[in-house]
Amino acid sequence: MDTLAIVIPFVPVLSAAIIFLFLRNRKGTAARLSVLATLLTFLLSLSLLGDYITSQVARVEWIGQIWGSIWLDPLALIMWTFVSGISLLVHMYSVRYMVEEPNYPRFFALLDLMTATIFFMVSAADLITLLVAWFLVGVFLYFLLGHDTDRSASGRYAFWTQITYRFGDLPLWLAAFILFKAYHSLSLPVIFAQVAAAPNAVQLWGMPVPAWVGILIAISAFARSAQFLLHGWLPYTMDGPTPVSALMHAGIVNAGGFLFNRFAPIFEYTSLALHIAFVVGLITAVLGSALMLIQNDIKRSLGYSTMGQMGFMVMECGLGAFPLAVFHLIAHGFFKASLFLGAGNAIGEARAADGVPPDPVYVSVVERRPNKPSRLPLITAAALTILVPVLVLSLSHFFVASHLFFEQGVIILLFFAWVTGAQALFATHKMTHSNPWQVMGGILGSFVLVVIGYTLISHYFGNFLYPEHGASKRLFASASIGVLSYDVLVIILALLFVGGWALTFFADARDWGQHLSEKWHGTYVALYALLTRELYLNDFFVRMTQVLFAASRRLNVWFRWS
Amino acid sequence: MEWIVLLISAVLLPIFPLSLIFNRLVATAPGPWGRALALLVLPQLGILLLYHTGPFLPLPVLGQRIWLMMVLFTAVFYAFRAVSAREISVWSRLSASSGLTLTWLLVASGSPVHLTQLFVLAWSVPAALLMIWAGLLSQRMGGAYLGLRGGLATELPRLSGLITVTALALVATPVFPGFFAMLQVFHLLSLSWLWPLLLLLMIWGWSIGKFLQDLLFGIYQGEPLTDIGGTVTSVGAGVLFLFALFGLVWSGLWIGN
Repeated sequence: MDTLAIVIPFVPVLSAAIIFLFLRNRKGTAARLSVLATLLTFLLSLSLLGDYITSQVARVEWIGQIWGSIWLDPLALIMWTFVSGISLLVHMYSVRYMVEEPNYPRFFALLDLMTATIFFMVSAADLITLLVAWFLVGVFLYFLLGHDTDRSASGRYAFWTQITYRFGDLPLWLAAFILFKAYHSLSLPVIFAQVAAAPNAVQLWGMPVPAWVGILIAISAFARSAQFLLHGWLPYTMDGPTPVSALMHAGIVNAGGFLFNRFAPIFEYTSLALHIAFVVGLITAVLGSALMLIQNDIKRSLGYSTMGQMGFMVMECGLGAFPLAVFHLIAHGFFKASLFLGAGNAIGEARAADGVPPDPVYVSVVERRPNKPSRLPLITAAALTILVPVLVLSLSHFFVASHLFFEQGVIILLFFAWVTGAQALFATHKMTHSNPWQVMGGILGSFVLVVIGYTLISHYFGNFLYPEHGASKRLFASASIGVLSYDVLVIILALLFVGGWALTFFADARDWGQHLSEKWHGTYVALYALLTRELYLNDFFVRMTQVLFAASRRLNVWFRWS
Repeated sequence: MEWIVLLISAVLLPIFPLSLIFNRLVATAPGPWGRALALLVLPQLGILLLYHTGPFLPLPVLGQRIWLMMVLFTAVFYAFRAVSAREISVWSRLSASSGLTLTWLLVASGSPVHLTQLFVLAWSVPAALLMIWAGLLSQRMGGAYLGLRGGLATELPRLSGLITVTALALVATPVFPGFFAMLQVFHLLSLSWLWPLLLLLMIWGWSIGKFLQDLLFGIYQGEPLTDIGGTVTSVGAGVLFLFALFGLVWSGLWIGN
């Protein structure tokens, strides 16, 4: 097993080397080799994960003497299996999807190299390996996104991704050197052990080292996971080939969540970074969801949906629910991959549809929908909407993880889950149906199943990822704030959500839409323009680049290019 | 005498404003091979001069601090200027100046001569190779300007591939030696002095992004071109592979120190 662990990341590297050297003109063989190599990688990763589940022993394997180490802990093994699984899906999909594209073998070689690099990134046990892999992910992604070199736009948007990634690389560099200079070791397990032994022993510029490192790691994760202010590149990655979009949105963009979890032993001793992560994640989640709603392109809409999901993932980290973030990124990865890989078909079906406007007679006779729909009584619906999610969520969480039940992060997460559940039930109530009890019953049943399943899975998954007793509690404690601030925050959030619901309800029930649209037309248009222009952030960055570029050219002219 | 040695060394291991002379020397060397040779030889001469005539820095503490600031300024300044360079040999020269100036940090730290020489090669070798690739491109297009006739990735896949990988090596992309050389520079400086190096990495990222965008993307509009042959491609790829291998092997020693 020891040798096997070192061999696994090199399997896709070997496949890429063979394709580059010998199979550049043999498309079919190159694709088959690449798929086989990824399948082998997936199966080997699965066997290593199985080996860990039976032995429960994490270990570090060394390829080099000073750097080049692989940490076979639950996080790395889960990520290996997840990444190779997603990569296998993308490889298999690409075999037919990309067959008409030029440079077909090169595409598979690059996919292999990307898979290998992510393997090294998620299992790096030392700072240098982590930095090398973190950097290389940006490089390979650039070439994958810019696969179609005939289109200038794909180059431009690949550059946007690359430059944002580079911006995110820098805090990680600085964090790595702060850790190295403070603890005199490159090894992550050694550094984490030293931090755990004396968290505040080493100070830097008036703050403990874990505080600085936490903030820098968080910024690095923000760039990679498209958090607010560093999100402009994500929707434009759609200009790359669809399989790359799938790999990007299902796997690579989740690197932020991984980074939080890898450095969880640091975050156990720093609160500030987690609070920042919560705020940034929350803003990103709201903004991503808002931007998603106004898109008229399915892929762009999925891109902003990813942004919103990444916001939720970072928010979970900010609340101290680190394992939940990993569970979230895996679940999101699989469903987003399937959505992206199906996006092409959806577009095809939309084009094939006749687009005939709905007709009441047609709807009633042919589609057999009720022509006299009805709803549940308002009081009954309101009671179900508000009470059922509270009961289901609280009880399921209380029985599964009672020791964490009163942690602030857990309560906030339950609050958001309640909001989501209530929103789903409210939306169900608004749907008209001949038998509303049947619909509501079905939705409630699904809701109970999903909540219990999710709670159980996330609980056992958390225990698997953080087997050390007390790690989860320390992370939740680190994410906590003062009782007064916490109460104020919860009240503000509750008022915001309840106010939003009330506004939506009354606007719908009393037909305020017409009145509001007349009175606030200017504001509405301005807000719409702001969102459609993506808050003018990309325009700002482009303009800034143009100004700096002109300055660079002027300097060159002054100094006569010497 | 020490001052004269220092000034000549500041020309050969370029520090602004004497870096202007270094760039002029490289630019006026005859042909691409001459420019490649100049990039390989001139910095090595600078090192020999410094190490064999020492003491390295006949400066008071304040002077050394100013010298350090000038080194970091030169690195950032030349990287920034490379962003708008569209001619491959100019881009290569400016980017190389940006990296080569960092050698002074090793010299000041008392690094052994052989390590300093290897450090210089991390920037000299890719810059010299780019000069040769620029020469091959000039033979075909009449000049090595990028962004004028659209993407070369389709028209000259082999040559543009070599240019791409070499340019990445020049801006400290892993696993090439420049990346590990940068790690060593980071290790030498105190944390308070790292921000110019972070800025440098950022500008290099921008610079290579613009460079590749102009080199690779778009539809080529011009006379049909003949790509380089298989032998040249194999030799070029082999040199780059060995260069990367050299970086991996030596990285342990650099980091270990």
